[in-house]
Amino acid sequence: MKLLRLFGASFSLSLRRDVAFRANLVFQLGLIALNILSSFVVLSAVYTQTQTLSGWSLGEAVVLLGTFQIVSGIFATWIEPNLSWFSVQVREGKLDSMLVQPVPSLFLISLSKCEPLALSQVVMGLLVVGLGERDPGTFPAWWAVLAWLLLISAGLIIAWALRILIASASLWASSIELDILYSSLWQFGRYPVEVYRQPLRFVLTYVLPFAFLATFPTRALTDHGSSLLLPLLGIGTSGVAIIIARFVWTAGLRRYTSATS
Amino acid sequence: MSRILRLLLISTQREFLQWLAGRAFLITLVINQTVGPLIGLAVWSVVLPGSSRISTYYVALLAVQLMTVSYENHTFSNAIYDGSFSQALLKPQPVVLGPLGTNIAMRLWHLLFGLPLILLLSVVTGTSWDGRLIVLALPAVLFAAILRFLFTYLLALSAFWTEQAHGIVGLSETLIFLLGGTAAPIALLPAGLRDLGAALPFRALLGFPGEILSASLDETRILIGYGWQIVWIVVFWLLVMGVWWAGLRRYSAIGG
Repeated sequence: MKLLRLFGASFSLSLRRDVAFRANLVFQLGLIALNILSSFVVLSAVYTQTQTLSGWSLGEAVVLLGTFQIVSGIFATWIEPNLSWFSVQVREGKLDSMLVQPVPSLFLISLSKCEPLALSQVVMGLLVVGLGERDPGTFPAWWAVLAWLLLISAGLIIAWALRILIASASLWASSIELDILYSSLWQFGRYPVEVYRQPLRFVLTYVLPFAFLATFPTRALTDHGSSLLLPLLGIGTSGVAIIIARFVWTAGLRRYTSATS
Repeated sequence: MSRILRLLLISTQREFLQWLAGRAFLITLVINQTVGPLIGLAVWSVVLPGSSRISTYYVALLAVQLMTVSYENHTFSNAIYDGSFSQALLKPQPVVLGPLGTNIAMRLWHLLFGLPLILLLSVVTGTSWDGRLIVLALPAVLFAAILRFLFTYLLALSAFWTEQAHGIVGLSETLIFLLGGTAAPIALLPAGLRDLGAALPFRALLGFPGEILSASLDETRILIGYGWQIVWIVVFWLLVMGVWWAGLRRYSAIGG
């Protein structure tokens, strides 16, 4: 309950700060709109040459694009502002001040700050998903929507856990900077994993499961929730991801002896 | 002139050696630059299976991307934001030599670290390179490298007026991705955008050398392409000069 109150207070403060800079809001909206527009152009170019892309129709690919934008927006709002360039925070001693706060350190390092402007990406993503599902009579059943939401949550938990693992690496060697690598790999999530050849497809499905960001949730939605396997897989994988993240972070903290030592 | 070249060489050497210490971070930058062409290659290989032109195009595009990479929003704009630009102004040499030296050094490192991936992709995709086309592409790569630097440097100069220089360069990178030939080869874009892509400078600074190497252009169109690259270089050169002097008049050290 205390953590939820802290989470709400942080969001409220950040929102008030962001609203004061309206020019930034307009600029960010423009940037996101251009980004989505460019993805639409690519899809339109692709689907003038072919009927399906690795078995995905145009409507399904649009839903996938929207889902990717939603997940990216949520991640950019709540997780990225905390964990980006984490090794710099370790080197500058900011982690030390977090560790003495009366709040679990994993919450403080990963969820205490937020960027509400990035939520505009979520809104645009929802519009794109609506556009992909616009055909009358094909509106997904409620359990398909539930499976989609569940898999989006699983994707976010897995992405959060991977980010924690990267952050934990800087407790062993603070010179390690994997932020750019992580955001590069994130980009592979904007297309169905079936597009990529092996071994990249294997890596994106089983090693760094970015397939959970958009491919699996979209499949659950467009298959109309016909299979229980994907949601169960999502719950299982995200559970394992949380356990690994907590274990590695705690192990890292045990050997951490502050920035100056 | 020879003094300027000597200073540029020294700046490049110094930056090259300095980045040697940060090679682990540099590798992540190289990977970041390869993602766009790799995704393009994956998608278009599925759309047009068996097309050797597509694989050659994207492998060439990857090489061009690495040889023309520009980070002036980091190297130059940040110097304005943190005030270290004032020190650069006091040195008895043109300020641009600093960012230009860093730019050349970074491109050398990108090519060096990216070369194994280029070779690997050439083997995996069965790309064959035509010596005559490589010779024809060399001037295009050189012009693209100059143009990309001028383009990014021009946008980085916006740091004199706004704190959004990173966002502005980010916006331009989306346009380069869309209209420069990474999202799709320009010839495969929808009709309206194809004309727009041909009219704007983005193709000249990225996709054009790849089109030459993938045998997508005849000699006349290659010559016209060189011509457009030179025109854009002159245009951006003039713009950089104008914006530089205007920005310098406005600059009054950090906080000014």
